[in-house]
Amino acid sequence: MIEVDEKQIEWSENMTIASLLETLDNSEFCSVVRINGKLFSSPLFAETMISDNSKIQLLPLVAGG
Amino acid sequence: MGQIHLKEIKSISYEKSEVKKGYTDQSLRINLDSNDIIINPIEDKIKDKFIGGKGYDLWLMWNNVNGDTKWNDPENTVCISSGPLGGTPGYPGGGKSIVTAISPLTGAPIDSNVGGYFGPYKKFSGFDVIQIDGKSNKDIVILIDGIENTIKLFNVKNLPEDSYELSDVLTRHFDETKPVNVSVVTAGPGAEHTYFGCLNFSWWDAGRKMVRYKQAGRGGIGTVFANKKVKAVVARYGAVSMKTNSPADLTALKAVTKTHAKEIHTLDPKQNRMAVVGTTHLVPIMNDHDCLPVHNFKFGSHPESKVIGEEVYEHIFDKGFDGCWKGCAVACAHGVKDFSPFTGPYRGKKVFVDGPEYETVAGCGSNLGIFDAQTILEINFYCDAYGLDTISVGTSLGFVMECFENHQITIDHTGGMDLSFGSRFNALEIIHQMARGEGFGSIVGKGIRKMKAIFAKDFGANAAFMQDIGMESKGLEFSEYITKESLAQQGGYGLALKGPQHDEAWLIFLDMVHNFMPTFANKAEALHWFPMFRTWFALCGLCKLPWNDIVPEDNKNNPEPAKVVKHVGWYADFFSAVTGRKTGPEDLISMSEAVYNFQRIFNLKMGYGTREHDTVPYRAVGPVTVEEYKSRQKRYDDQLIEKYNLDISDMTSEEKVASLRQKREEQYEVLKDAVYERRGWTQNGIPTIETVKRLGIDFPEVLEVLKKNGVE
Repeated sequence: MIEVDEKQIEWSENMTIASLLETLDNSEFCSVVRINGKLFSSPLFAETMISDNSKIQLLPLVAGG
Repeated sequence: MGQIHLKEIKSISYEKSEVKKGYTDQSLRINLDSNDIIINPIEDKIKDKFIGGKGYDLWLMWNNVNGDTKWNDPENTVCISSGPLGGTPGYPGGGKSIVTAISPLTGAPIDSNVGGYFGPYKKFSGFDVIQIDGKSNKDIVILIDGIENTIKLFNVKNLPEDSYELSDVLTRHFDETKPVNVSVVTAGPGAEHTYFGCLNFSWWDAGRKMVRYKQAGRGGIGTVFANKKVKAVVARYGAVSMKTNSPADLTALKAVTKTHAKEIHTLDPKQNRMAVVGTTHLVPIMNDHDCLPVHNFKFGSHPESKVIGEEVYEHIFDKGFDGCWKGCAVACAHGVKDFSPFTGPYRGKKVFVDGPEYETVAGCGSNLGIFDAQTILEINFYCDAYGLDTISVGTSLGFVMECFENHQITIDHTGGMDLSFGSRFNALEIIHQMARGEGFGSIVGKGIRKMKAIFAKDFGANAAFMQDIGMESKGLEFSEYITKESLAQQGGYGLALKGPQHDEAWLIFLDMVHNFMPTFANKAEALHWFPMFRTWFALCGLCKLPWNDIVPEDNKNNPEPAKVVKHVGWYADFFSAVTGRKTGPEDLISMSEAVYNFQRIFNLKMGYGTREHDTVPYRAVGPVTVEEYKSRQKRYDDQLIEKYNLDISDMTSEEKVASLRQKREEQYEVLKDAVYERRGWTQNGIPTIETVKRLGIDFPEVLEVLKKNGVE
């Protein structure tokens, strides 16, 4: 299992950030996520694998300075 | 440092105008030619139209300067205001000051928004806004004492030169037993010797028992302040509660304050963690999206950026409450204690560094090829202490470094210094020279626009190349985002009234990452709504960060998530609760629109404010050089083929650069047309008569300026 914004979600092998977001509603706004405290931005979503037991937060729309 | 000497030269007692519904309805004018201290009422019609904050500042300035006024003329006026909502303890971001003057860099009005306690203390002392004009012939300190109800002017001797020590000395001098009652505005030697001097606004950090400060950075207001020989303006006031601002509906104010603060306390730890890392989280995010300025905005990312972002500063920042206003839940004003500079007058001493924020890390770090957290801290410390804007310093030095590497300037011009990217010791030496007004640093301190002229005329540098790479517009240096792939943000910078600062519009992700605004009409709408709403914070004395840097969990379900509509509603409730003026979300936009258009016409009055001044250097639009093109070759090749239907198979790299440039520059002009139309401006970028009438700013003097510029 992984935790996404405090909700439990089934983990699957070869899960990437991009594949996870495809399963979530209203995630098109999401350009940055935090996985176990570390930031990952959208250019890295397709290549970044998610490990089992990860704690993930979807950051809101990046608002700049 | 010997005993400081303050000689009182003028003192008045006044009957304090109590705050009513967020306003004192009085302004304070200090004229330094005559040392007159004048208290004036603020008429209801001005209050209705200009709201407060930047609106009041601009109105007072408008009446004090003429179209020929230069930044160093006595008529130039430094205005400092709060706003009707400013000084609400506990409301996130509720304590900002807004400062304006005619800028040494742009020749037009500049505004800057800053934390610290000065704005609220000044208001609670009886004045919505203060204006400082004229010029003193001796160093002067101004005291607004809202406890004793006196205003005093002092000639001063033997004060510390730099803001770091001066803020501390004056805080303790004016209330040794309760330093929390004092806030000090200071500049510094860098402000005196450059055109991009900033102002430091202090507050007493009760937890650390020391003076802290934030900066009104942009456009050289500190330079104007120093040129008037003002060493400091001090406000003194006692305890503050929600009742101090005399809200119309205290119960409603408490309710909306509690709701917004609670949300931030709950969600900031899950979102950007600004209470822990400030804005340094933006460094890795911008780097990964190719938007972090590297080597004078040539590139948008660098592998070494990981050592100058939140991962590092989180561990360096001193732990403790870091709100720049009382009870702010965002509390993002972090700093580093016991830092020991390795250069300059504080070498080897232990100091507290207020910062760095994202802009300083990007401008004075990656943009200069300096990937060293300690050097960035040292640049941050000295810029603040000397009264220098870190954004203009970073962007100007980036320009210098590229000119140096490109052989436009050489060691013969720099006083023997190698100013290649990454030259951290020489970058610091330039900053020390700026403070002393010496050497090559004194040229850099004039800003990019003037450097371009000097380098071309005196050093034989290539003017066209420098025009392309010099990251300034309207004379102001760019803040720290790469805009090449976001046409909307090119407009966000180029069409900003004061010059390329991101506080009007930050649309990069909406445009570039999410493609939420694919058409020119979409972009124009965004370049109307966002600048108008963001202007509202400056009218009211607020910080914008709590609006859209921490957002409700259900915001993603809203059809327009970027507007953070729930928060806009809370701000309308906040305004209603304090002022008693029943206000809905749309009213916030109309309040701002009047002031925004007035500022545009103020630019016009000063000889600017037309289409030709809304240009940006090509570096902000696309790749200037083949090196830049090749760094993103696939992206650019694909655009030429797919977006512009060009056959590039036989093109040289130089031809591709030229073709892309032609297309992108055409698009920028089309964007201008669309934005001007949406804003109700002529195609020359001037508000129409219909627009000023609709907004109720059709004052005779406004119509006269329009008429002089062919609009009637």
